[in-house]
Order: sequence, then structure tokens, then C-alpha cells
Amino acid sequence: METPLDLLKLNLDEKVFVKLRGAREMTGTLQAFDSHCNIVLSNATETIYEFLEGELKSNTKSSEMVFVRGDSVTLITTPSEE
Amino acid sequence: MSFFGFDTSLSGQNKGSNRDSRKKANNRKSKSPEAAMDFEDTYQGFGEHEGEEDDYLNDETFGNATELGADFDFGYGKGELEAVGQSSVSQPALNRSYASAATSTGSEMPMSGYHTGPAHIMDDGMDFTPMESLWTNQPRAMPPQQYQQQPEVQVLSMEELERQQQLQQQHPQHGYVGGVAPPPPVGYGYPPQAFMPQAGYQGMPQNMQQGMPQGLPQGLPQGMPQGLTQGMPQGLPRGMPMPMPVPMPMAGPPQRFSQASHAVQHQQPISAGQQSGQASFVAPGSSQSPELSQQSATSSTQLPTTKSPVMAAPGLFPQVSKPPQSVSSSRGQFVTEQDSRESTPRGARRGSMRKPQEPLSPEDLKRLQIRQAKVDKILRHSGVMTPRDKDFITRYQLSQIVTDDPYNEDFYFQVYKIIQRGGIVGESNKGLIARAYLEHSGHRLGGRYKRADVALQRMQSQVEKAVTVAKERPQKSRENLDSAKEGVLGKISSARNSKAPRRQLQIPLQKGDDEDVSSSAIEDVVQSMNGVDISSSSKTRRRSSYAFRSVDQRAVLSRSGGRKFVLSLIETVYAEVLELEAQLRSGKETDSTELWEALHIADDAYEVSPFISILSFDKGVKIMPRIFNFLNKDQKLKLLYCFFSELSHLNIIVTSSYKTNPNPSDSQLKKLELFQSVFLKIIVSFLSSSAEFLEVLGLLLALVKNNNVSFISTSKIGLNLITVLISRAALIKQDVSRGNVLSSMEASSWNEIYDKLFTALETKLAVVFPPDEYTAKVVTASSSGTVTSATAGQSQKHQFYDQSYIWQFLASLALSGKLNHQRVIIDEIREEIFGTISRAEQLLSSTPAEEQQIAMYQRDKLYQDLNLFLNVMGLVARDGEISELK
Repeated sequence: METPLDLLKLNLDEKVFVKLRGAREMTGTLQAFDSHCNIVLSNATETIYEFLEGELKSNTKSSEMVFVRGDSVTLITTPSEE
Repeated sequence: MSFFGFDTSLSGQNKGSNRDSRKKANNRKSKSPEAAMDFEDTYQGFGEHEGEEDDYLNDETFGNATELGADFDFGYGKGELEAVGQSSVSQPALNRSYASAATSTGSEMPMSGYHTGPAHIMDDGMDFTPMESLWTNQPRAMPPQQYQQQPEVQVLSMEELERQQQLQQQHPQHGYVGGVAPPPPVGYGYPPQAFMPQAGYQGMPQNMQQGMPQGLPQGLPQGMPQGLTQGMPQGLPRGMPMPMPVPMPMAGPPQRFSQASHAVQHQQPISAGQQSGQASFVAPGSSQSPELSQQSATSSTQLPTTKSPVMAAPGLFPQVSKPPQSVSSSRGQFVTEQDSRESTPRGARRGSMRKPQEPLSPEDLKRLQIRQAKVDKILRHSGVMTPRDKDFITRYQLSQIVTDDPYNEDFYFQVYKIIQRGGIVGESNKGLIARAYLEHSGHRLGGRYKRADVALQRMQSQVEKAVTVAKERPQKSRENLDSAKEGVLGKISSARNSKAPRRQLQIPLQKGDDEDVSSSAIEDVVQSMNGVDISSSSKTRRRSSYAFRSVDQRAVLSRSGGRKFVLSLIETVYAEVLELEAQLRSGKETDSTELWEALHIADDAYEVSPFISILSFDKGVKIMPRIFNFLNKDQKLKLLYCFFSELSHLNIIVTSSYKTNPNPSDSQLKKLELFQSVFLKIIVSFLSSSAEFLEVLGLLLALVKNNNVSFISTSKIGLNLITVLISRAALIKQDVSRGNVLSSMEASSWNEIYDKLFTALETKLAVVFPPDEYTAKVVTASSSGTVTSATAGQSQKHQFYDQSYIWQFLASLALSGKLNHQRVIIDEIREEIFGTISRAEQLLSSTPAEEQQIAMYQRDKLYQDLNLFLNVMGLVARDGEISELK
């Protein structure tokens, strides 16, 4: 009865942490998702990691509402701490 | 003070004489030709120290000598008690108190009658065995010093001696190795010290011990086993030729019996606090239990016994009565050495010290028997703990009841006092408690034995210590960040019980510092504040909202089924609501049963109602208005009853309390706002539209009874909720009063509940005002983020903390109270009133001219809020002054 997406459903309207391909992470409130793991986040913050000149650097971007295409999602979990 | 009611402090009285005779014994011993080593050579003076008696049990305490799982009999064995009844008491202990009897060491023991003999016989072996592991390098140092006195205890009656002599004649000696010729059994002075056949016969002594008493009357064996149990393996000459009364099964269980004797020896140290020998008796005639043979068979003995197969069943040796639980292993070797060393002096000493016994008249005997029985009863568990143990336990117990902050920590006592006397709570309750405690225990201790003064002094010092401990406690709890141990000492029992067992693995996550601070903070609050009457008889489940762990949202969640469970409940609820709404749209009848069940409000399976946890999620709060559309009034009442009963667990209360969450974040403030605008609104509309007076009272009672009202009042939401309830009750009351419908029952229950609420808040009213740091943080968070109702101000730049909710609360509280209530309220928040006035007045002078208008607004707001409260009492604050309202 419980599929992974059923569990994801429990986190609707809750903050989630999403790891994406290309060294990106997103934190935001889960608004919607589908079977392809396309997700919609609100109040989302995206963190992009880059390796420049031997140093790890990160940029953040905020968006009020964002659609994330499912093929780039590698991990969804609850944020470690608010 | 003694844990069991007699004075253990007397042991010191016996020390001196013991020590003297001990020295004599040492001298004697050093001359013994049989001794393998000279005692004086190896003796390092350990025995000269004071207070060593507390240490000699180390081996027992730390468990090297005992088999794992060994079960000790701390009292008399069963057989011993029987023996007491049978044995005639030879010598009265007329002038001794039970206490001193308990504390006396072996040298005094003859007084107790010869049925104590076996114990001392056993003492000989036992005394040093516990020290083995400690003193292996200096085998002679402590142990013999400590206890060699005890053997001379045995006193034989005339009949007994005669019988022994007869037996000796019947059984020729088996030959002895030592050069000392056996002295003839002269008079009663000599205990039947056995001479043991030496080589190849090591097994015998043990057998003899067991074999002898078989044919003998109960009383007899006591004097005899001395030589038999101990020392025999070495075959050293004791005082006398060996009486061999009973045909011995040589092939029998020699090692078994060596074990048995060791078992008895082993027993001794445990019970030998002050009164060694009392507790461990070999009672003749009592039956040996099978375990003994089992244990002895399994334990490894180094005694060079003949390893013949066990032929005899355990039951054949009834007189080895020691409860077999304690069998020591691997100490045989040592015992024998020591025995060989000691045997000669001991025998000699014993002989010289024996005194003839006067036959007693039957009356005396009877009296003494009764007395002895009493003593035995009293001494049953004596010596189980050392004085230090008792001190520690007493102090520990006292530290639970004594505190340096009795006002806060002894809440129940305070309440009781208030109820009893109606007086103001005094300051020095610790003295009272201590005195009450002392009076009680003083009676037990000193009432009979006139040691009350000593006991009192001891207790007083204990109280002092306990107070110190209590003072240290709060700091410790703050240092100790791991609050998982909370409740270990029995403080809270609500964490888990049979009705709500642990449901899932709880993996303790690493908590941040902030959480720990707030966790101890709420503990402080809960401890320093008080609720009213926790009896939750109306509730079937133990869902006390007094639990301290509610700060940790994860803990609350797990106690209500876990995060996943609660989230899935929310999904179910959403599905149900959608379904019902669809039915409503299509004009069908709606049935809210399933929705009601999904809410789990009446679910007693969880420690915290899942419904409460639903409300800790935003989406759970948001769905509430839609849920309320489908619930009938009864269900709504139940829901609210549950809500108010477990308010302390509510996440929003915790996050909105300045005590538990001193650093509110923007998101938390938003949550608060959401809760206020959604759920509070529902409650208000329900109360004002459909709730009866008694129903409001019921909800208020649920809140007061099951929650820590003072803690709840530190949170804005909590204060709002209380305000809503009491103001609604007051309004209905006023309405009803006009129509004169309010029954006397309703009026009195209202007064009662109000009194409860007020008692819970009394003396803590000032805590409803959050500290300035907190309000400043709220203002900062609010200004940087979204403006919430937590602050007020004309523009986003000029926000200030909105205290109106506090004054609303105080106003409604005062409105419902009588004059004396109002007086108390004003007394307690006087500073806040004047603080508000002075703040309002300073605003104008301290703000620059261009912001005067803003300051004027703020000042007006302050006065407006304050006057809301003051007007209730017919006062008004204006331009820095309080005057009567006209």
C-alpha cells in the first residue's frame, strides 16, 4: 500500500530538502509532486556548489515558488534542522 | 541513625577490647610452630587502623570472590530460625540493648546463647576469606587481625560437653600430624577442636562437619565444627582430639562440603557490618538444599580434597543448613593456609576463655528464649549495610525531600500547608520537613533506646548535607545536557507505562545547545511553578501535561505515535474532509464518524493525543476550520476538552513561551500567527456561539487541572486561551445574572474553578510579562520579516511589542475575581504597572521631535492597554498618574 511516493505525500506542506544533480541542493516547502518526482517547492532556497581554483564555493538562490524537474532529483528528505 | 532502627554507632565500643585481644593473639600466633610463615614478619600493621571494618568487605562488594548470579541470604536462613526456637539460651544478655547486641563483635557473643555458636564457628573461616583477593601478597595482614576474635564465642552447656566427651571416647582419633599431643578434654573449656588425619585425608574434615551432628541433638554441633570446617586439611593440631561421632561417608562429597563451609564463610562478610556472625548461622537440622551440591560441584575449589564421585545425595547432609545461594569458588587454598596458621592459637585462646555455664532455671530459659527470639527478629537483616551505606541512603532520601528552595520544589507540601492552615507559605519549610522527619525517626530510634539525641544530631547533619546536595542539583542538571536520564530517580512516571509502552525505536538525535537550554528552562519553569490538583481521575490514560519533555517536538511526536504517523493522520483527515465536502456539495447527508476517528481524539493508546500533534503542523492547523464544519457540538466539546487538557504538549505553546523558546524565529512567529488566526478563532467562535456556562467551566477545569498553568501563562497563545475561557465565563455569568438563571451550583463551581486557577497563578503572575530581551527579539524578528500581531506600530520600522494580550488576560482575571483576588493581582504586578507608566512617559521625552507622532501613538497604546486592566478595578492611568475612574 505504501509506495515511496506515499511517504513523500506525508511531507506535503512541510519543509523538505532536495538534492539535485549537478551539485545543487534545494530547501523549501513541498507543494506538489508527481510520479516522475517532479516537485514544486515554495519559499525555496537553492544552493549551488562549485569547485573553483581548488576551493569549494556555494551560491544560493531564493525563489518563492519553483518547479523542479524530476529527472534531476536524487534525494528528498526532511531538512536536518530548521 | 540506622536504617533498620537500631544504633549502629555503638560498634566502636567494642573495638578497643578487640584490638587488645587481637594483639595477644598475634603474639601467640607468631610462636606457633605450625605456622608456615611468621605473622609478625609479614604483618604490615594494617590491622591497626581505625575504621577498617568498613573496608574489609571490598571483595564482596566488588565481586571477585562470588560466582555470578549468586544469591545471598541477608537474613537468617530458615533453618536458623528453627534452631532459635529449639536451642536453649544459655546466657542472658540482660543489660544489653538490641542495638549493642547487633553491633557487638564476636567477643561479646557468648551472651547471646550458644545457638549463636555456629555462626562464629563459621566466622573463623569467613573472616579472612573476603580479604583473600585483596591480600594475596600479604596473606596475614588484615584478615586474621580483623576476626580472629570471634571463635571464642562458643559456649557449651554441660550436657553438650558431656555428649562430646562421650563421642570422643567412642571415636578414636584418626591420628594427627602435628607434634602437639591432644590434651584431654578438660572441663568445658575446650571446644571440640578436631584433629585431622592429614595426608590423603583432606576430604574428611568437611565430611565430619556434616556427619557429626546427625546423631546429635540440635544444640550440640555448634561447638564442634570449628576445627572441622577450617584448618583441618592441614591436619594441624587443635585443642582436642577429633570427635568423630558419625560414620563418615568418606567417599562422599568432600569437596562439596568444603564448598559448603565456604559458602557459609562467604555469607558472613556480607552480613558482617558491625555484627559479624549474627546473620550467618549454620542451623543444625535444617535441610540442605540441592542447589548447594550443584553449586559446589560447579565451583572450582583448590582445596586438595579427594575427588571421589559424589555418592550421597544432598539430602543426606541436612545439617549443612546454610542457604546455599552463596558459594564461593576458588578460595579453598587460602583458607587452609590461614587455618593452619591460626589453628593453634585459636584453640588455646578459646580454651582459656571459656567459662563454665550455670544451668538456668526453666523460667529463665523461657524468658531468655523469648528475648532471644526478639533479638533475632530485630537482627534479622542487621548488618546488611555498613554505616556508610546507610548514611548515603539516608542522605539521598533526604535530598529528595529537603531542598534549599522549598517554596518552589516542595509544591505539594506548600499546597497542603495552604489548604491546612490557609496561611502564607513560610520560608523555612526545610526545617519543618526535617523536624517532622526527625520526630518520626527519632521516635523509632530514640524512643526506646534513648538515643534520640544521637539520632537527632546525626539527622541534622544529614539534613545539612542533603541541603548541600539539593543546592548542587540544579547546576548539575544544567551541566548534564543529556536529559535522557531524567526520571531515573522516579520523578516522572509518565514517560512510559504499561498502557503506553515504547512503541518504536527512539533514536536520540544530537540536540543543539539551544534546545538543551530551553529543555532545562522548561524544567525550571515546571519546577518553580505549580499547577493545581493533578488528579486526573477523569482521564483514563495517564496523559499528564506536566511532562517536561514537551519542549522537544520530536519527543512529543514520538509519544503520540511518531512523526510519520501524525503526518499520515493529517493526510487521512484531509481525505475525509474532502470526501465530506464533496458529499455536502452534492447535497448528501454527511457522516462525520470516520473523520472523528481519524482525529484520534479519544485514542488512549498514545501518551500524547495524536490530535495535539496534528496541531503542531501548519497543515494540521489549517484544516481545522473545515473539520469543525462537520463535527457536532458534542464532538467539538470533546475535541476542545482534549485540546485544553493537553495544552502543555502543544507545540505552539512551547514555541510561544518565552521560557522555552527565548529566541523566536521569524518562521515560529508566523506559525504563532497562523495558529492565532485559525484555531483561536474557532475556539472563540465556538465558545461565544454555542457553549454553555458549564461547558466553558469544564474546559477551564480541564486546562487548570491537567496543565501547568503558570507555564502556559508564559506563552502568548496560552495566555490568550486562558483569557478566552475566563472572559467567556464571566460574560455568560453576567448575562445569566441579569436573568437570574445562574443556579447556586453553577455559581459555586465557577468560584471553585476560579479559585483553582487563581491558586495556580498566584505568586507567579509576574511571569506573564516576558522579559525585555524576549520582546526585543520578537520585535527584531518581526521587523525583519513579516509583521505579525505580536508587535504593534504604525509602520514596519517602528514596531514595539504588543502587550495588550497580557493586559487583557489580567483584566479578565480581575474581572472574575473578588476584591482580595484583585488585590493580590495588583500586588504582584505593581512593578509592571508602574514600569508601563514610566515607559509611556519616557517615550515622549526620549524620542526625537520628528518621531513624536510615533511616540505619541505608542504611548497611547500603552495607556490604553494598561487602562483596560485598571478600569476593571475602577482605576485609570493618565499622564503618569493613577486615579480613580469617574
